[in-house]
Amino acid sequence: MDKSKRQFLQGSGAMIAGISLYVLTNGEVAGEQQKSAVKYAMLHDENKCIGCNACADNCRKVNQVPEGVARLEIIRTGPFGEYPNQYYHFTRKSCEQCEDSPCVHVCPTGAAFKDENTGIVSVNSWKCVGCQYCIAACPYHIRFINPVTKAADKCDFCRETQLKQGKQPACVEACPTKALVFGDLNDPNSEIVKALEENPVYRNKRDLGTHPKLFRIQAKQGGINV
Amino acid sequence: MFRNTWRTVLGVATLVCLLGFGTAGTANAETSTALKINDGPCLKCHKRNGTMLGVHGQDKMHFTCSTCHGEQGVHPRKPNDIRVFNPDPENAPQEQNKTCLRCHRPEKLAAGEWTHNVHANKVSCAACHQLHPATDPMTQMTGTQHSQLCRQCHAK
Repeated sequence: MDKSKRQFLQGSGAMIAGISLYVLTNGEVAGEQQKSAVKYAMLHDENKCIGCNACADNCRKVNQVPEGVARLEIIRTGPFGEYPNQYYHFTRKSCEQCEDSPCVHVCPTGAAFKDENTGIVSVNSWKCVGCQYCIAACPYHIRFINPVTKAADKCDFCRETQLKQGKQPACVEACPTKALVFGDLNDPNSEIVKALEENPVYRNKRDLGTHPKLFRIQAKQGGINV
Repeated sequence: MFRNTWRTVLGVATLVCLLGFGTAGTANAETSTALKINDGPCLKCHKRNGTMLGVHGQDKMHFTCSTCHGEQGVHPRKPNDIRVFNPDPENAPQEQNKTCLRCHRPEKLAAGEWTHNVHANKVSCAACHQLHPATDPMTQMTGTQHSQLCRQCHAK
């Protein structure tokens, strides 16, 4: 009787230890999987931006975005100041590539997903049923239904087009003033990491805890020097 | 058969109409060389580079060359007071644009195109606009051409 009680206690102890070990190691593995080797991000320098719309034009061309919808827009506010010394502010409106993306969490079919190798939030158009739950969930209001594919669509840092060919995203290539910097946050020598270290930056709606990866350098007051 | 003849008649009628309009258009372009502004004394020398075909030359505006370019004065001797419009930054944009701003109000220019505001007195109107040809190239620009134009100065 005593023996069996001891055996029971030993057995259950071993089982608990086993289970907890299993959970721990599994958790670690899962954690490692989530940590991607490359973590792409973008920086928009609002001081350098001249609002020429070349980025949005090239985006439309390269990603074949139909008229009426857009993956990328430059929002112009102003004019500020008195003539002839007026100026405008330009902000980029596109996917903020959240690390904790609400669109991915709510998608019922798994069409919205985060690529673990690059950290890019993207859409599998063939999986999308067009329920628009992601459109409602996105705190930045950048998602839309593509009238051609009838699937949810948005900026994916040109994952399917430019990046596959080893090029920079279409908007970055088109920018005449080099206001856009694209690169890997995990690479300490990348241009974007250096730029982020050198400049004070801000991100939209940080308080929501979505950890967006679209950084912005706030425009200083004043015009643009050619 | 009856329906087909009707279609042919309709087609021919539209063609005739279109051709009629087409020739009318070209005829207009030809006669625009005969605008009153081109009868002035300046054209005796400036036939090659001075012919005015643009909207500013239309008869009902009653413009002469001197309306924009100023009185002849001692021209062609130098120095003279003739106003020249070109993209050359040595020819101060602020001075050049004074002439245009006599009629064109900045608010109205900005309503048509926001970039007027930021370039105000830093770039001359002539850097982008051409007034002498029948159509100003700026009026027929697509969005992409427009951003390419920005690139010409702003690309580093």
